[in-house]
Amino acid sequence: MKKIDALTFYELLEIASDASPFEIHHAYKEMFQLYHEDSLASYSFFSREEREEILAKVNEAYSTLMDEKKRSQYDQYLIEQGVLEEEMQYQGDRKKLSLMPLAKRPGADTALRIRERLKMVVSSNAMIQEILAHDALSGSDLKKIRDELGVSLEEIAETVKVRMTYLRAIEEDQFEKAPSRIFLKGFVRAYAQYIGLDADMVASRYLKRMNN
Amino acid sequence: MPHIWPIGGGKGGTGKSFFTGNIGILLARLGFKTLLIDADLGGPNLHTIVGLPNPAISLSDFLNKRVATLQETVLQMPIHNLFLISGAKNKLDIANLAHEQKTKTLRAISKLAYDYILLDLGTGTSFNTIDFFTLSDSGIFVCIPEPTSIENVYRLVRSVYVRKIRQVLKNERFRSLAEKAEARDEDAIIHHPEYLLDMLKEMDPEEGSNIERILKAFQFKLVLNQVRRQDNPKIGALICRIVEKHLGLKIQFLGNVSFDDRVHEAVCRRESFVEKYSYSQAALDLRLVLKGITGMIDQQVAAL
Repeated sequence: MKKIDALTFYELLEIASDASPFEIHHAYKEMFQLYHEDSLASYSFFSREEREEILAKVNEAYSTLMDEKKRSQYDQYLIEQGVLEEEMQYQGDRKKLSLMPLAKRPGADTALRIRERLKMVVSSNAMIQEILAHDALSGSDLKKIRDELGVSLEEIAETVKVRMTYLRAIEEDQFEKAPSRIFLKGFVRAYAQYIGLDADMVASRYLKRMNN
Repeated sequence: MPHIWPIGGGKGGTGKSFFTGNIGILLARLGFKTLLIDADLGGPNLHTIVGLPNPAISLSDFLNKRVATLQETVLQMPIHNLFLISGAKNKLDIANLAHEQKTKTLRAISKLAYDYILLDLGTGTSFNTIDFFTLSDSGIFVCIPEPTSIENVYRLVRSVYVRKIRQVLKNERFRSLAEKAEARDEDAIIHHPEYLLDMLKEMDPEEGSNIERILKAFQFKLVLNQVRRQDNPKIGALICRIVEKHLGLKIQFLGNVSFDDRVHEAVCRRESFVEKYSYSQAALDLRLVLKGITGMIDQQVAAL
Protein backbone atom coordinates (compact mmCIF):
# COMPACT_ATOMS: atom_id res chain seq x y z
CA MET A 1 0.00 0.00 0.00
CA LYS A 2 0.99 3.62 -0.39
CA LYS A 3 2.08 5.76 2.49
CA ILE A 4 -0.82 7.33 4.35
CA ASP A 5 -0.10 10.79 2.88
CA ALA A 6 -0.29 9.46 -0.64
CA LEU A 7 -3.80 8.04 -0.22
CA THR A 8 -6.88 9.89 -1.39
CA PHE A 9 -9.63 10.33 1.18
CA TYR A 10 -11.56 7.61 -0.57
CA GLU A 11 -8.67 5.16 -0.47
CA LEU A 12 -8.00 6.04 3.14
CA LEU A 13 -11.57 5.24 4.21
CA GLU A 14 -11.63 2.25 1.83
CA ILE A 15 -14.74 3.41 0.00
CA ALA A 16 -15.69 3.95 -3.64
CA SER A 17 -15.46 7.45 -5.04
CA ASP A 18 -19.25 7.55 -5.45
CA ALA A 19 -19.98 6.39 -1.89
CA SER A 20 -23.09 7.87 -0.26
CA PRO A 21 -22.89 9.87 3.00
CA PHE A 22 -24.31 6.83 4.76
CA GLU A 23 -21.45 4.65 3.50
CA ILE A 24 -18.91 7.31 4.41
CA HIS A 25 -20.23 7.52 7.92
CA HIS A 26 -20.13 3.77 8.30
CA ALA A 27 -16.57 3.55 6.96
CA TYR A 28 -15.47 6.32 9.29
CA LYS A 29 -16.86 4.49 12.29
CA GLU A 30 -14.91 1.40 11.30
CA MET A 31 -11.70 3.34 10.84
CA PHE A 32 -12.18 4.98 14.19
CA GLN A 33 -12.55 1.56 15.77
CA LEU A 34 -9.24 0.55 14.24
CA TYR A 35 -7.19 3.62 15.05
CA HIS A 36 -8.50 5.39 18.12
CA GLU A 37 -6.18 5.70 21.05
CA ASP A 38 -7.73 2.95 23.17
CA SER A 39 -8.34 0.55 20.30
CA LEU A 40 -7.50 -2.94 21.50
CA ALA A 41 -7.13 -4.25 17.97
CA SER A 42 -4.24 -1.95 17.07
CA TYR A 43 -2.72 -1.85 20.54
CA SER A 44 1.05 -1.23 20.34
CA PHE A 45 1.07 -1.45 16.55
CA PHE A 46 1.64 2.26 16.00
CA SER A 47 3.75 4.80 17.77
CA ARG A 48 1.80 7.67 19.29
CA GLU A 49 2.85 9.98 16.44
CA GLU A 50 1.82 7.49 13.77
CA ARG A 51 -1.55 7.00 15.39
CA GLU A 52 -2.16 10.74 15.69
CA GLU A 53 -1.16 11.27 12.10
CA ILE A 54 -3.52 8.58 10.82
CA LEU A 55 -6.41 9.75 12.99
CA ALA A 56 -5.99 13.37 11.91
CA LYS A 57 -6.06 12.31 8.29
CA VAL A 58 -9.12 10.10 8.84
CA ASN A 59 -10.93 12.97 10.55
CA GLU A 60 -10.03 15.35 7.75
CA ALA A 61 -11.29 12.85 5.18
CA TYR A 62 -14.55 12.44 7.06
CA SER A 63 -15.27 16.14 7.53
CA THR A 64 -14.43 16.89 3.90
CA LEU A 65 -16.49 14.11 2.36
CA MET A 66 -19.52 14.66 4.58
CA ASP A 67 -19.77 18.29 3.51
CA GLU A 68 -21.37 18.48 0.09
CA LYS A 69 -19.57 21.63 -0.96
CA LYS A 70 -16.15 20.61 0.32
CA ARG A 71 -16.58 17.21 -1.25
CA SER A 72 -17.27 18.55 -4.71
CA GLN A 73 -14.26 20.89 -4.40
CA TYR A 74 -12.11 17.95 -3.35
CA ASP A 75 -13.44 15.83 -6.22
CA GLN A 76 -12.66 18.68 -8.61
CA TYR A 77 -9.11 18.71 -7.29
CA LEU A 78 -8.78 14.95 -7.77
CA ILE A 79 -10.14 15.25 -11.32
CA GLU A 80 -7.55 17.92 -12.11
CA GLN A 81 -4.84 15.65 -10.69
CA GLY A 82 -6.09 12.92 -12.96
CA VAL A 83 -6.82 10.43 -10.17
CA LEU A 84 -10.62 10.61 -10.42
CA GLU A 85 -12.85 10.37 -13.45
CA GLU A 86 -15.81 12.69 -13.63
CA GLU A 87 -18.40 9.96 -14.03
CA MET A 88 -17.11 8.22 -10.90
CA GLN A 89 -18.25 11.10 -8.70
CA TYR A 90 -21.07 10.84 -6.22
CA GLN A 91 -24.26 11.83 -8.02
CA GLY A 92 -26.35 12.49 -4.91
CA ASP A 93 -30.04 11.74 -5.26
CA ARG A 94 -29.70 11.80 -9.01
CA LYS A 95 -28.11 8.39 -8.86
CA LYS A 96 -30.58 5.96 -10.33
CA LEU A 97 -31.71 3.06 -8.27
CA SER A 98 -31.44 -0.16 -10.14
CA LEU A 99 -33.24 -3.34 -9.30
CA MET A 100 -30.89 -6.01 -8.21
CA PRO A 101 -30.99 -9.06 -10.42
CA LEU A 102 -32.32 -12.14 -8.67
CA ALA A 103 -29.02 -13.95 -8.32
CA LYS A 104 -27.34 -10.88 -6.77
CA ARG A 105 -29.82 -10.51 -3.92
CA PRO A 106 -28.29 -11.23 -0.54
CA GLY A 107 -29.01 -14.82 0.39
CA ALA A 108 -29.83 -15.91 -3.14
CA ASP A 109 -26.25 -16.93 -3.68
CA THR A 110 -26.20 -19.32 -0.73
CA ALA A 111 -29.56 -20.86 -1.67
CA LEU A 112 -28.18 -21.49 -5.15
CA ARG A 113 -25.06 -23.05 -3.81
CA ILE A 114 -27.00 -25.28 -1.40
CA ARG A 115 -29.19 -26.42 -4.29
CA GLU A 116 -26.19 -27.25 -6.45
CA ARG A 117 -24.65 -29.28 -3.66
CA LEU A 118 -27.89 -31.15 -2.93
CA LYS A 119 -28.38 -31.87 -6.62
CA MET A 120 -25.08 -33.70 -6.66
CA VAL A 121 -26.03 -35.77 -3.63
CA VAL A 122 -29.43 -36.56 -5.18
CA SER A 123 -27.88 -37.83 -8.37
CA SER A 124 -25.41 -40.09 -6.60
CA ASN A 125 -27.57 -41.41 -3.74
CA ALA A 126 -28.98 -44.87 -4.45
CA MET A 127 -31.87 -44.64 -1.99
CA ILE A 128 -33.09 -41.32 -3.41
CA GLN A 129 -32.78 -42.57 -6.96
CA GLU A 130 -34.79 -45.62 -5.99
CA ILE A 131 -37.62 -43.41 -4.63
CA LEU A 132 -37.52 -41.18 -7.69
CA ALA A 133 -37.84 -44.19 -9.97
CA HIS A 134 -41.49 -44.55 -8.94
CA ASP A 135 -44.20 -43.09 -11.05
CA ALA A 136 -45.98 -41.44 -8.12
CA LEU A 137 -44.54 -39.63 -5.11
CA SER A 138 -46.14 -39.45 -1.67
CA GLY A 139 -45.49 -36.98 1.13
CA SER A 140 -43.58 -39.61 3.06
CA ASP A 141 -41.38 -40.23 -0.01
CA LEU A 142 -40.47 -36.57 -0.02
CA LYS A 143 -39.77 -36.67 3.70
CA LYS A 144 -37.48 -39.68 3.24
CA ILE A 145 -35.51 -37.82 0.59
CA ARG A 146 -35.32 -34.70 2.73
CA ASP A 147 -34.14 -36.68 5.77
CA GLU A 148 -31.55 -38.46 3.67
CA LEU A 149 -30.24 -35.06 2.54
CA GLY A 150 -30.20 -33.77 6.10
CA VAL A 151 -32.28 -30.68 5.32
CA SER A 152 -34.66 -29.39 7.99
CA LEU A 153 -38.19 -28.20 7.31
CA GLU A 154 -37.38 -24.95 9.12
CA GLU A 155 -34.57 -24.31 6.67
CA ILE A 156 -36.91 -24.78 3.68
CA ALA A 157 -39.64 -22.64 5.25
CA GLU A 158 -37.13 -19.88 5.98
CA THR A 159 -35.71 -19.77 2.49
CA VAL A 160 -38.68 -20.40 0.21
CA LYS A 161 -41.08 -18.44 2.47
CA VAL A 162 -43.72 -21.12 2.79
CA ARG A 163 -45.23 -21.71 6.21
CA MET A 164 -44.18 -24.77 8.20
CA THR A 165 -47.82 -25.90 8.51
CA TYR A 166 -48.09 -26.24 4.75
CA LEU A 167 -44.76 -27.97 4.37
CA ARG A 168 -45.70 -30.43 7.07
CA ALA A 169 -49.08 -30.97 5.42
CA ILE A 170 -47.31 -31.83 2.17
CA GLU A 171 -45.22 -34.48 3.89
CA GLU A 172 -48.27 -35.89 5.71
CA ASP A 173 -50.44 -35.91 2.60
CA GLN A 174 -53.02 -33.66 4.29
CA PHE A 175 -54.05 -31.98 1.06
CA GLU A 176 -57.07 -30.24 2.61
CA LYS A 177 -54.77 -27.98 4.65
CA ALA A 178 -53.45 -26.15 1.61
CA PRO A 179 -55.46 -23.06 0.60
CA SER A 180 -56.05 -24.45 -2.90
CA ARG A 181 -54.76 -26.93 -5.39
CA ILE A 182 -52.81 -24.25 -7.21
CA PHE A 183 -51.11 -23.19 -3.98
CA LEU A 184 -50.36 -26.79 -3.10
CA LYS A 185 -48.67 -27.28 -6.45
CA GLY A 186 -46.62 -24.12 -5.92
CA PHE A 187 -45.54 -25.22 -2.45
CA VAL A 188 -44.51 -28.68 -3.63
CA ARG A 189 -42.50 -27.10 -6.43
CA ALA A 190 -40.71 -24.72 -4.06
CA TYR A 191 -40.00 -27.56 -1.63
CA ALA A 192 -38.66 -29.83 -4.37
CA GLN A 193 -36.56 -27.16 -5.95
CA TYR A 194 -34.92 -26.24 -2.67
CA ILE A 195 -33.77 -29.80 -2.00
CA GLY A 196 -32.30 -30.10 -5.47
CA LEU A 197 -35.05 -32.10 -7.19
CA ASP A 198 -36.68 -31.45 -10.55
CA ALA A 199 -39.58 -29.24 -9.42
CA ASP A 200 -41.96 -29.90 -12.35
CA MET A 201 -41.45 -33.62 -12.28
CA VAL A 202 -41.97 -33.90 -8.50
CA ALA A 203 -45.06 -31.66 -8.51
CA SER A 204 -46.75 -33.59 -11.31
CA ARG A 205 -46.06 -36.98 -9.73
CA TYR A 206 -47.18 -35.76 -6.32
CA LEU A 207 -50.45 -34.35 -7.67
CA LYS A 208 -50.99 -37.43 -9.77
CA ARG A 209 -50.92 -39.61 -6.67
CA MET A 210 -53.16 -37.17 -4.84
CA ASN A 211 -55.75 -37.43 -7.60
CA ASN A 212 -55.82 -41.16 -7.32
CA MET B 1 5.27 -33.34 1.48
CA PRO B 2 3.57 -32.95 4.85
CA HIS B 3 1.54 -29.87 5.71
CA ILE B 4 3.61 -28.12 8.35
CA TRP B 5 1.80 -25.72 10.67
CA PRO B 6 3.99 -23.79 13.07
CA ILE B 7 1.84 -22.53 15.94
CA GLY B 8 2.99 -19.62 18.07
CA GLY B 9 1.77 -16.52 19.77
CA GLY B 10 4.56 -14.67 21.47
CA LYS B 11 3.09 -14.68 24.92
CA GLY B 12 2.72 -17.56 27.34
CA GLY B 13 -0.70 -18.73 28.49
CA THR B 14 -2.59 -17.94 25.32
CA GLY B 15 -3.33 -21.60 24.74
CA LYS B 16 -0.79 -22.61 22.08
CA SER B 17 -0.31 -26.10 23.47
CA PHE B 18 -4.02 -26.46 24.13
CA PHE B 19 -4.73 -25.44 20.54
CA THR B 20 -2.00 -27.64 19.03
CA GLY B 21 -3.01 -30.69 21.03
CA ASN B 22 -6.70 -30.46 20.36
CA ILE B 23 -6.45 -29.55 16.67
CA GLY B 24 -4.06 -32.50 16.38
CA ILE B 25 -6.62 -34.83 17.91
CA LEU B 26 -9.33 -33.58 15.53
CA LEU B 27 -7.05 -34.08 12.51
CA ALA B 28 -6.20 -37.60 13.65
CA ARG B 29 -9.89 -38.36 14.12
CA LEU B 30 -10.47 -37.29 10.53
CA GLY B 31 -8.03 -39.98 9.48
CA PHE B 32 -4.96 -37.87 8.83
CA LYS B 33 -1.64 -39.13 10.05
CA THR B 34 -0.77 -36.30 12.38
CA LEU B 35 2.43 -35.54 14.24
CA LEU B 36 2.67 -33.04 17.07
CA ILE B 37 6.11 -31.66 17.83
CA ASP B 38 6.79 -29.83 21.04
CA ALA B 39 9.21 -27.21 19.81
CA ASP B 40 8.81 -25.09 22.91
CA LEU B 41 12.33 -26.04 23.86
CA GLY B 42 12.46 -23.94 27.00
CA GLY B 43 9.08 -24.90 28.42
CA PRO B 44 7.72 -28.08 26.92
CA ASN B 45 4.32 -29.33 28.03
CA LEU B 46 2.47 -30.54 25.00
CA HIS B 47 2.80 -34.10 26.31
CA THR B 48 0.76 -33.13 29.37
CA ILE B 49 -2.00 -31.60 27.22
CA VAL B 50 -2.44 -34.79 25.23
CA GLY B 51 -2.31 -36.93 28.35
CA LEU B 52 1.14 -38.49 28.30
CA PRO B 53 2.81 -37.52 31.59
CA ASN B 54 6.14 -39.33 31.26
CA PRO B 55 7.33 -39.66 27.69
CA ALA B 56 10.18 -42.15 27.38
CA ILE B 57 12.00 -40.38 24.59
CA SER B 58 12.09 -36.79 23.41
CA LEU B 59 13.48 -34.29 20.93
CA SER B 60 16.64 -33.91 23.00
CA ASP B 61 17.56 -37.52 22.33
CA PHE B 62 17.84 -36.55 18.69
CA LEU B 63 19.69 -33.33 19.41
CA ASN B 64 22.18 -35.14 21.63
CA LYS B 65 22.61 -37.88 19.04
CA ARG B 66 21.39 -40.63 21.36
CA VAL B 67 19.21 -41.69 18.44
CA ALA B 68 20.20 -41.42 14.81
CA THR B 69 17.01 -40.15 13.22
CA LEU B 70 14.22 -37.84 14.28
CA GLN B 71 11.69 -40.55 13.40
CA GLU B 72 13.02 -42.64 16.31
CA THR B 73 11.82 -40.05 18.80
CA VAL B 74 8.22 -40.31 17.61
CA LEU B 75 5.80 -41.65 20.21
CA GLN B 76 2.58 -43.41 19.29
CA MET B 77 -0.39 -41.87 21.11
CA PRO B 78 -3.40 -43.84 22.36
CA ILE B 79 -5.46 -42.07 19.68
CA HIS B 80 -5.21 -43.73 16.30
CA ASN B 81 -3.18 -41.72 13.75
CA LEU B 82 -1.80 -39.35 16.38
CA PHE B 83 1.91 -39.13 17.08
CA LEU B 84 4.08 -36.96 19.30
CA ILE B 85 7.65 -35.82 19.53
CA SER B 86 7.86 -34.68 23.08
CA GLY B 87 10.03 -31.90 24.40
CA ALA B 88 10.03 -33.26 27.93
CA LYS B 89 13.36 -33.99 29.62
CA ASN B 90 15.15 -31.53 27.42
CA LYS B 91 18.32 -30.29 29.00
CA LEU B 92 17.66 -27.05 30.78
CA ASP B 93 19.95 -25.00 28.57
CA ILE B 94 18.43 -26.28 25.37
CA ALA B 95 16.28 -23.23 24.65
CA ASN B 96 19.24 -21.79 22.77
CA LEU B 97 20.01 -24.28 20.07
CA ALA B 98 23.28 -24.04 18.25
CA HIS B 99 22.88 -23.07 14.63
CA GLU B 100 23.99 -26.46 13.41
CA GLN B 101 21.54 -28.36 15.62
CA LYS B 102 18.79 -26.07 14.47
CA THR B 103 19.34 -26.57 10.76
CA LYS B 104 19.64 -30.30 11.31
CA THR B 105 16.32 -30.36 13.16
CA LEU B 106 14.53 -28.17 10.64
CA ARG B 107 15.74 -30.32 7.77
CA ALA B 108 14.74 -33.52 9.56
CA ILE B 109 11.23 -32.20 10.28
CA SER B 110 10.46 -31.38 6.69
CA LYS B 111 11.47 -34.90 5.66
CA LEU B 112 9.13 -36.74 8.03
CA ALA B 113 6.33 -38.71 6.39
CA TYR B 114 3.07 -37.47 7.90
CA ASP B 115 -0.03 -35.75 6.53
CA TYR B 116 0.13 -32.95 9.07
CA ILE B 117 2.92 -31.78 11.32
CA LEU B 118 1.97 -29.30 14.02
CA LEU B 119 4.78 -27.43 15.73
CA ASP B 120 4.03 -26.05 19.15
CA LEU B 121 6.44 -23.13 19.46
CA GLY B 122 7.83 -21.34 22.44
CA THR B 123 7.08 -17.87 23.68
CA GLY B 124 8.97 -14.76 22.75
CA THR B 125 10.66 -13.88 19.52
CA SER B 126 13.94 -15.74 19.92
CA PHE B 127 15.70 -16.90 16.79
CA ASN B 128 14.63 -20.47 17.45
CA THR B 129 10.95 -19.65 17.38
CA ILE B 130 11.25 -17.49 14.29
CA ASP B 131 13.24 -20.09 12.39
CA PHE B 132 10.62 -22.71 13.06
CA PHE B 133 8.05 -20.27 11.75
CA THR B 134 9.77 -19.71 8.44
CA LEU B 135 9.81 -23.47 7.89
CA SER B 136 6.36 -23.27 6.37
CA ASP B 137 4.30 -20.78 4.41
CA SER B 138 1.38 -20.96 6.79
CA GLY B 139 2.05 -20.14 10.40
CA ILE B 140 -0.79 -19.94 12.90
CA PHE B 141 -0.81 -17.34 15.64
CA VAL B 142 -2.80 -17.94 18.79
CA CYS B 143 -3.76 -14.75 20.54
CA ILE B 144 -6.13 -13.77 23.33
CA PRO B 145 -8.13 -10.51 23.45
CA GLU B 146 -5.82 -8.73 25.88
CA PRO B 147 -3.40 -5.90 25.13
CA THR B 148 -0.39 -7.88 26.36
CA SER B 149 -1.09 -10.76 24.00
CA ILE B 150 -1.93 -8.54 21.05
CA GLU B 151 1.27 -6.58 21.60
CA ASN B 152 3.32 -9.77 21.48
CA VAL B 153 1.53 -11.13 18.44
CA TYR B 154 2.25 -7.96 16.51
CA ARG B 155 5.86 -8.20 17.54
CA LEU B 156 6.09 -11.81 16.48
CA VAL B 157 4.32 -11.18 13.17
CA ARG B 158 6.76 -8.40 12.35
CA SER B 159 9.80 -10.43 13.41
CA VAL B 160 8.84 -13.45 11.35
CA TYR B 161 8.02 -11.33 8.33
CA VAL B 162 11.26 -9.38 8.54
CA ARG B 163 13.18 -12.66 8.83
CA LYS B 164 11.39 -13.99 5.78
CA ILE B 165 12.16 -10.86 3.79
CA ARG B 166 15.82 -11.11 4.77
CA GLN B 167 15.89 -14.76 3.72
CA VAL B 168 14.46 -13.89 0.33
CA LEU B 169 16.77 -10.92 -0.19
CA LYS B 170 19.80 -13.01 0.76
CA ASN B 171 19.20 -14.98 -2.40
CA GLU B 172 22.09 -14.37 -4.79
CA ARG B 173 19.72 -13.09 -7.44
CA PHE B 174 18.28 -10.32 -5.35
CA ARG B 175 21.37 -9.33 -3.40
CA SER B 176 22.49 -6.31 -5.38
CA LEU B 177 18.96 -4.95 -5.50
CA ALA B 178 18.61 -5.45 -1.75
CA GLU B 179 21.85 -3.60 -1.11
CA LYS B 180 20.72 -0.69 -3.23
CA ALA B 181 17.45 -0.56 -1.32
CA GLU B 182 19.21 -0.67 1.99
CA ALA B 183 21.47 2.18 0.96
CA ARG B 184 18.46 4.27 0.12
CA ASP B 185 16.50 3.63 3.30
CA GLU B 186 18.30 1.54 5.84
CA ASP B 187 15.44 0.72 8.12
CA ALA B 188 12.80 0.05 5.50
CA ILE B 189 13.07 -3.71 6.00
CA ILE B 190 12.44 -3.51 9.69
CA HIS B 191 9.98 -0.69 9.99
CA HIS B 192 8.14 -0.50 6.72
CA PRO B 193 8.17 -3.77 4.82
CA GLU B 194 5.21 -2.59 2.73
CA TYR B 195 7.14 0.47 1.51
CA LEU B 196 10.17 -1.68 0.92
CA LEU B 197 8.28 -3.67 -1.69
CA ASP B 198 7.15 -0.50 -3.42
CA MET B 199 10.71 0.75 -3.38
CA LEU B 200 12.07 -2.49 -4.82
CA LYS B 201 9.46 -2.50 -7.54
CA GLU B 202 10.28 1.07 -8.43
CA MET B 203 14.01 0.33 -8.67
CA ASP B 204 13.61 -2.89 -10.61
CA PRO B 205 10.02 -3.62 -11.69
CA GLU B 206 10.69 -7.18 -12.78
CA GLU B 207 12.72 -8.47 -9.84
CA GLY B 208 10.64 -6.38 -7.46
CA SER B 209 7.51 -8.19 -8.58
CA ASN B 210 9.30 -11.51 -8.25
CA ILE B 211 10.14 -10.73 -4.66
CA GLU B 212 6.60 -9.61 -4.05
CA ARG B 213 5.27 -12.88 -5.44
CA ILE B 214 7.47 -14.96 -3.16
CA LEU B 215 6.45 -12.94 -0.14
CA LYS B 216 2.77 -13.04 -1.06
CA ALA B 217 2.89 -16.84 -0.84
CA PHE B 218 3.75 -16.37 2.79
CA GLN B 219 0.45 -16.31 4.62
CA PHE B 220 -0.36 -16.20 8.26
CA LYS B 221 -3.41 -17.33 10.13
CA LEU B 222 -4.79 -15.97 13.36
CA VAL B 223 -6.93 -17.60 16.02
CA LEU B 224 -8.39 -15.67 18.91
CA ASN B 225 -8.54 -17.91 21.94
CA GLN B 226 -10.30 -17.54 25.29
CA VAL B 227 -12.89 -15.14 23.94
CA ARG B 228 -15.34 -14.26 26.69
CA ARG B 229 -18.89 -13.13 26.15
CA GLN B 230 -18.13 -9.51 27.00
CA ASP B 231 -15.23 -9.31 24.51
CA ASN B 232 -15.64 -7.65 21.14
CA PRO B 233 -15.97 -10.61 18.76
CA LYS B 234 -14.58 -8.55 15.88
CA ILE B 235 -11.15 -7.95 17.42
CA GLY B 236 -9.53 -10.79 15.49
CA ALA B 237 -10.78 -9.53 12.14
CA LEU B 238 -9.61 -6.02 13.02
CA ILE B 239 -6.13 -7.26 13.90
CA CYS B 240 -5.89 -8.96 10.51
CA ARG B 241 -7.00 -5.78 8.83
CA ILE B 242 -4.26 -3.78 10.52
CA VAL B 243 -1.61 -6.32 9.53
CA GLU B 244 -2.75 -6.49 5.91
CA LYS B 245 -3.08 -2.76 5.58
CA HIS B 246 0.09 -1.65 7.29
CA LEU B 247 2.49 -4.53 6.74
CA GLY B 248 1.15 -5.56 3.35
CA LEU B 249 1.11 -9.13 4.61
CA LYS B 250 -1.72 -11.61 4.06
CA ILE B 251 -3.24 -12.92 7.26
CA GLN B 252 -6.43 -14.93 7.52
CA PHE B 253 -8.65 -14.80 10.58
CA LEU B 254 -9.73 -18.31 11.48
CA GLY B 255 -12.21 -17.44 14.19
CA ASN B 256 -12.82 -17.11 17.89
CA VAL B 257 -12.50 -19.97 20.35
CA SER B 258 -14.74 -19.38 23.36
CA PHE B 259 -13.36 -19.18 26.84
CA ASP B 260 -14.30 -22.30 28.76
CA ASP B 261 -13.56 -23.12 32.39
CA ARG B 262 -13.58 -26.79 31.54
CA VAL B 263 -10.35 -26.34 29.62
CA HIS B 264 -8.69 -25.74 32.95
CA GLU B 265 -10.41 -28.79 34.34
CA ALA B 266 -9.36 -30.99 31.42
CA VAL B 267 -5.73 -29.86 31.67
CA CYS B 268 -5.69 -30.50 35.42
CA ARG B 269 -7.05 -33.99 34.91
CA ARG B 270 -4.66 -34.46 32.00
CA GLU B 271 -7.49 -35.36 29.69
CA SER B 272 -7.90 -34.05 26.17
CA PHE B 273 -10.53 -31.35 25.98
CA VAL B 274 -12.13 -32.03 22.57
CA GLU B 275 -12.69 -35.64 23.51
CA LYS B 276 -14.04 -35.09 26.98
CA TYR B 277 -16.21 -32.07 26.15
CA SER B 278 -16.79 -32.56 22.46
CA TYR B 279 -20.08 -30.64 22.42
CA SER B 280 -18.94 -27.59 24.37
CA GLN B 281 -18.85 -24.26 22.56
CA ALA B 282 -15.05 -24.19 22.63
CA ALA B 283 -14.83 -27.63 21.01
CA LEU B 284 -17.32 -26.59 18.31
CA ASP B 285 -15.26 -23.45 17.74
CA LEU B 286 -12.11 -25.53 17.32
CA ARG B 287 -13.81 -27.63 14.66
CA LEU B 288 -14.86 -24.51 12.81
CA VAL B 289 -11.31 -23.19 12.97
CA LEU B 290 -9.98 -26.45 11.60
CA LYS B 291 -12.51 -26.24 8.81
CA GLY B 292 -11.23 -22.77 8.02
CA ILE B 293 -7.65 -24.00 7.78
CA THR B 294 -8.21 -27.04 5.67
CA GLY B 295 -11.23 -25.87 3.71
CA MET B 296 -12.79 -29.17 4.58
CA ILE B 297 -16.33 -29.93 3.59
CA ASP B 298 -19.09 -29.83 6.22
CA GLN B 299 -19.84 -33.50 6.32
CA GLN B 300 -16.38 -34.54 7.36
CA VAL B 301 -16.34 -32.14 10.28
CA ALA B 302 -19.86 -33.07 11.28
CA ALA B 303 -18.79 -36.69 11.36
CA LEU B 304 -16.21 -36.03 14.05
